[in-house]
Amino acid sequence: MIRKKGVMANLGTGLIYGIVVLLGLVCLLPMLNILAISFSGSDAAAANIVGFVPVKFTTAAYEKIVEDRQFWRSFGISVFRVVAGLAVNLVLIVLMAYPLSKSKREFCGRGVYMGLLIFAMLFSGGMIPTYLVVKNLHLLNTVWALVLPGAVPIFSVIMVMNFFMGVPKSLEEAAVIDGATPMQVLAKVYIPCSKPVIATIALFSIVGNWNDFFGGLVYMTKVHNYPLQTYIQTLSVKLEDMLNSGGSLSSLIHAMEVSSQNLNAAKIVVSVIPLLLIYPLLQRYLITGIVVGSVKE
Amino acid sequence: MRAYGAGWRIMGLVCILAAGVAGCGGNRKNQEPIAAEEGGMGSYQEVLECSFGRRTLANPKFPDGDTYEDNAYTRYVLEKLNVRVIDDFEANGEDYDRQVSLAIASGELPDALFIGSKDILDELVENDLVEDLTQAYEDYASEYMKEVYDSYDGRCLDTATYNGRLMAIPGTNLDSAPCVAYVRQDWLEKAGLIVDEDGDHCLTIEELERIGRTFLEKDPGGSGNPVGMAFVPYLTADDYGGSGYTMNAVTSAFGAYPKLWIRDEDGNVVYGSTTPQMKASLGKLAEWFEEGVLDPQFGTRTWDDITALLTNNQLGIAFGPWHIPDWLLNNVKGMNPEAEFAAFTVCDGEGRVNVAHSNAGNGYMVVRKGYSNPEVIVKMLNLFFDDLVNHSGLEQEAPEIAAYMSLGVDNSARPFQVEVNAYTSLLDDYADIKGCMNGEITMEEVRTAESKSIVESIRRYLKGPKAEVSDWSRYTSRMGGIELIESLTKKGQFRWETPVFRGTTKTMKKSGASLGKMEEETFVGIVTGSVPLDRFDGFVADWKAQGGEKITAEIEEALAAEGGNGR
Repeated sequence: MIRKKGVMANLGTGLIYGIVVLLGLVCLLPMLNILAISFSGSDAAAANIVGFVPVKFTTAAYEKIVEDRQFWRSFGISVFRVVAGLAVNLVLIVLMAYPLSKSKREFCGRGVYMGLLIFAMLFSGGMIPTYLVVKNLHLLNTVWALVLPGAVPIFSVIMVMNFFMGVPKSLEEAAVIDGATPMQVLAKVYIPCSKPVIATIALFSIVGNWNDFFGGLVYMTKVHNYPLQTYIQTLSVKLEDMLNSGGSLSSLIHAMEVSSQNLNAAKIVVSVIPLLLIYPLLQRYLITGIVVGSVKE
Repeated sequence: MRAYGAGWRIMGLVCILAAGVAGCGGNRKNQEPIAAEEGGMGSYQEVLECSFGRRTLANPKFPDGDTYEDNAYTRYVLEKLNVRVIDDFEANGEDYDRQVSLAIASGELPDALFIGSKDILDELVENDLVEDLTQAYEDYASEYMKEVYDSYDGRCLDTATYNGRLMAIPGTNLDSAPCVAYVRQDWLEKAGLIVDEDGDHCLTIEELERIGRTFLEKDPGGSGNPVGMAFVPYLTADDYGGSGYTMNAVTSAFGAYPKLWIRDEDGNVVYGSTTPQMKASLGKLAEWFEEGVLDPQFGTRTWDDITALLTNNQLGIAFGPWHIPDWLLNNVKGMNPEAEFAAFTVCDGEGRVNVAHSNAGNGYMVVRKGYSNPEVIVKMLNLFFDDLVNHSGLEQEAPEIAAYMSLGVDNSARPFQVEVNAYTSLLDDYADIKGCMNGEITMEEVRTAESKSIVESIRRYLKGPKAEVSDWSRYTSRMGGIELIESLTKKGQFRWETPVFRGTTKTMKKSGASLGKMEEETFVGIVTGSVPLDRFDGFVADWKAQGGEKITAEIEEALAAEGGNGR
């Protein structure tokens, strides 16, 4: 019996490992393929013969990117958006989550505020009203149109609130006895205890802001204001469609140059580098996960 | 991923469009006209602000700091005409079309904008949203511009004329016929195949078949997996410019005009895809498919797959407009330096090449109804396609623009976003190039900067070692492709058909899509043999019953209303 169970367990573990490795490959291989294409000649990329090793190795695509002004302009806009968005998000989320983490006795309007939040989370204003608000605030074509509509991600507020609720009460009581004001309690007790969850929502904010292309498409009416992902999505031109809609020779040659597969691959690679750099820094906290309290209750 | 993204985009923009309709209607305030100096390029006495809708291209290669709104061209417009260009919106491709729909729906059209499709122009004119430009064109267009438009015998201006009134300034579109068959010359030699003995670069359909069969049997590319001929599943194009990887070269040989509305011998309007000639063309393809000369995977092979076949040395025949060496076959040359392409086309039994005129209009510039100075668009036309084209001292007087040309900044940087060239400009430019190569004229006598740069490319290619693939491309497309067009024109081997109707009728809007789908499915079925050839007659009957008959009647009616031959 026991031996049999052992075999089953091993088999199960093996199976799980197998599945996990497979899933990992499914995520990794397309990236490797893109990387290989970005270092291949444009003709080899067009011939569809690049696997995981570059064919006709060249860095021409990256040289072209360096020359592409709009790419770097958009890159700058995206970086600014991520930084501004992260700052705004963190400040507002934490400031909102802290009072909400208190019990009804300490914060008597809590139920009302929670109700509003949940309602707004389930029924958002929708695209049209949001667009009109942004337009009438004269935010169109500014980077704030990308930051402010998403300034308070309610899901993150609730996550942080729940985490704050889990922080042992005794810590706060001890701080209060020592004469800490509520702001000090937040800054010196709650936030240091909550690094994992703050890292998590920071990551959500960074990834979300970096990857969003749709906001740029809606709120930016001028191409030179596009954030990076919006710019990149305009680059995928299908030559075939262009030819059929009467594209002139010069526009076809132009489209071939900007939409050549190796160049697009290189743009994707460059655009994921910032996220690749940020991930390892935050991952530590993500894995740590649970707060290690100094006092057990 | 792409489909997902597109879905959201469409949904979102449709929502915004709805918001525009509901919320913010109302027209712009109309100001008093601003006086200007006399003449087709008379400068305004005060700065005239003109808002635009701009169709953009990804990475137009602007120098540092320049944008669509503020670049060498817009600064030139300000300097010469005292007109400040302001962009109401800028967007790419499909997004641009949606922005235009939004602007129409919200009643907030920019003062001037580019319109890509005839349907939208129809809509604008029907709803009286655009200014009548007849008088402005008459008064302000320069003699040269009028000559350019006249070179199309009115076919171009007609596309923007409604009840005798010119409602937009149309862009021009040269004839790009025929559908050229670029054949691997090095393979022909390797396989010892002799075709086109008279050297006129016209293949008979049998010769084309022989080339395909030989390439399939002898595999001169050494790929081990050769394909004789390959076509995209949609098979035909309604314009030779769009004939890449289509069977339009084959239909030329049979005298069929797929997807075009033409008049038959009795003067009745017929749809080219439903004629007996079309049946014969499909019959030929079905034969080839059965024999294997035609790609056994026809029907599932996409555009990109066919490009890959060519690049991988599996396929040696590429169909398309004359310029495919510049942007498609360059990949083949890049991977296979030994590759050489010879340009052929396919003729019928009497040695004629049956082709149709392209739609002479290509994009339109319109002015919003009620704008104070509608003539500004005609002045811009003069500025960009007369002044700049015929300018002798561009380097001195407008160094910025000269720099743009050498940097290759895309023409979409111009606020006037259509191209206007004389009907004969393709062959005129080629005559310069050829003359210069033969030493008949000097480099200084070559008229356009582009032709000069092409001559240099071709010389580089002929000298050999330092040539780049782009030099080869230009050599092959000009000395092969355009040379073919020139010789066919000179010898009078073209038989031109003029399609009678290019618009969209009511029933077309309703059932056009399903008819098109039926056409494509039936044709693919016939070629692959899953549907017998005789089913073609059934298709024609179905097509007529499901709206085709009605559409034909509508077109006859529209043509009768126009009272002419309805170009």
